[in-house]
Amino acid sequence: MDDSTKRLLQQLVRRIPTQMLKTTLEKWGRLTTEQQKSLDFTQPKWVLTENLLAFCEENGWTTKHITELEMIYVTDSPNQGMWYAFQLLDPEDDAPSVELTQFKEQFKIHLTELIRHVSIKIKKHTDEAVWIRIAWGDSFSRPNHLKPTYVVHHLQTPYVFMSSVTRKQKPLLSQALVLATRYTAIKDAHLSGRKLTAIRDVVMKQYQQVFPTKYPSPLLEQNQTASNPLIKREQAESSENRHQMACEAFGYGMVPQLQTAVYKLETKFRGITNKTMTERGEPIRCVVKFTSTNLLESFRNCASSGIASTPVTPLLSSITQKGRNFFVITDNGRGPS
Amino acid sequence: MERRNSMARTPLSSVVAPRRSRSKSYRRSYHSCLGAASYLSLTSGLTARRLTTSRRAPKSHSITEKVSPEQLALLVKKEWQLSYVTPLHQFRHKQLKSYSRQLQAFIVAERQQGLAVGMEGADSSFRVSFSVLQGMVETDDDAESVFVQIHSKPVFAGQEKPMRSVWSGWLACISGSPDYLRSLPEDFVCLPLFCSSGAEWLTSLVKSWFQRMFDCCFGPLEINTTNLEWLVALWTNCHSEFNIQHLKLMWTLPVVPPLEVTYTLHPQDAWELWRSIREDVQDEEKTEGGRDTMAKDGGSICIEEVMRFMQALKCHFYRHFRVDLSTGRLDQVSTALGSAKHNGKIKISNSSYMITTLMLLTECALLKMPI
Repeated sequence: MDDSTKRLLQQLVRRIPTQMLKTTLEKWGRLTTEQQKSLDFTQPKWVLTENLLAFCEENGWTTKHITELEMIYVTDSPNQGMWYAFQLLDPEDDAPSVELTQFKEQFKIHLTELIRHVSIKIKKHTDEAVWIRIAWGDSFSRPNHLKPTYVVHHLQTPYVFMSSVTRKQKPLLSQALVLATRYTAIKDAHLSGRKLTAIRDVVMKQYQQVFPTKYPSPLLEQNQTASNPLIKREQAESSENRHQMACEAFGYGMVPQLQTAVYKLETKFRGITNKTMTERGEPIRCVVKFTSTNLLESFRNCASSGIASTPVTPLLSSITQKGRNFFVITDNGRGPS
Repeated sequence: MERRNSMARTPLSSVVAPRRSRSKSYRRSYHSCLGAASYLSLTSGLTARRLTTSRRAPKSHSITEKVSPEQLALLVKKEWQLSYVTPLHQFRHKQLKSYSRQLQAFIVAERQQGLAVGMEGADSSFRVSFSVLQGMVETDDDAESVFVQIHSKPVFAGQEKPMRSVWSGWLACISGSPDYLRSLPEDFVCLPLFCSSGAEWLTSLVKSWFQRMFDCCFGPLEINTTNLEWLVALWTNCHSEFNIQHLKLMWTLPVVPPLEVTYTLHPQDAWELWRSIREDVQDEEKTEGGRDTMAKDGGSICIEEVMRFMQALKCHFYRHFRVDLSTGRLDQVSTALGSAKHNGKIKISNSSYMITTLMLLTECALLKMPI
């Protein structure tokens, strides 16, 4: 067992939370029953690491085995790190028929053609997603397993999600993906976040949506024990209305957890009071960033409480409608572009 | 003293107040209650204070000429937690050496009692130094600012390892209200603004030593929305001379989960908006007749301009997002000159215009004081 394998194992055990360690190791299935039994998960992390390093020596695990363990952990905790969504464009005729074996083979061939020292591992997860782990090297160095890139692609969909890709690696990766999926191009979907599941749900619209109806029906049961029925009814109607519109824009029930939305604005200042500024030809350049632990829920709450006026502006509802959270807004192309 | 030639308005209202006079301002009186109350109760008539509705526009010069660059370097690029301090009884600028020894002994003694939570540093490994920040004053009534630094050596460090600074703090009074300062009895030195940076336990030890020594008391100094808005305007106004890089404002909206809004403006555009608002306000004042006998020289900024600037920024935001920022709380403002947070944290990134910022903070500290 060489040093790099040891370091990889050490780093990995450090990353895995203690409460997940047991199940992850069981799933991996490389420990003998005695070894598994001898591990005391109430002990501090460093003791467990020492034990595992000893088993590693005993069983003769290599980097390949450790990366397997890493993939199990990463696929089980998809809500870590920063994920970026990409969209594949213009499918070839045979794109819909690409299946796993073909994709695997093609991806490996194309990427290794572009870069020699690269280590690729592809695994299909239970939810139909294909997980790709890439350790990159360059012409002079072996693949660095300590900083791998993860890519998730759902076969037969035009979406790809990437995590920890450098500027240099992105074109290589994009080309291999486009060729292997039988598409012709790939573009940044301008959607990113810490939770892969949320990003996926937003682009694939896998969350509870509310569609505008001409005759809005109450979404929540209103408490109708009114002391002054007329006022109560009016208030209830307007708040119900706001709630309906908030849900139309941002979803109903549990919404995908996005953390940020960024708008680059280059629009003219329009004020009634300020003539000089309104007449100025130049736009005002600014960047607006919204941050929350659950952005869509915050926005929904803003709209239904009246902090944001309803109907919700297309700028905000575009997050769900267009499935992105980065926008550039100019006066020419009104609406998010 | 500053001219007060603006009218006072309820913040955020856009209805023109019917009356206007050249020196009108909000009034607020202090109540004597804590600390040196017995002395000050005699002079309570003089402790009435006003909220400023007009401020001098920041000028860059003076400070770098007056204060040595080494000392300025101690103050910039660090985040300071602000507190107010009531006037210090029998504080002498000539006894700083002895204060250094006493505070050092106090810290060591407190640690031996085991009152402070364990930190690195053996008992004898603290060194405290008091110094005067020569020139950090704005008027003759201001007392010289005092800088305190605590050095320590980690327990396991070798003999040859130098001590490193683990805590620093300073007390200042920049252009404090002369009426108030002159009303203080002889024995008091007023340095109402206390800035600290370093371990919390050291801050509380330093505070309690000051309390015992000088019969004063400390309290948290938050920077409210109005004062943050003042900083926005004062800093933006500097852009014609000093590139402020960006104007960044941060609000927190009261929804569940809380929504944070960061609004970053291009400095040139922010400045042009600011300038156009100032021109508008000044034009209006001219057309409203010659009640303003003292012509505006562009050297002062009035609250009216600050409020309109903020209103314009919020309007521009609302036009796009239809979200009313006034419902939230302005939490933080920053430019290349520095940053200020609602919770009383301040960072001065460039010393050129720091006097103006410190004047505002001194005023806040004096207002917050319970005396």
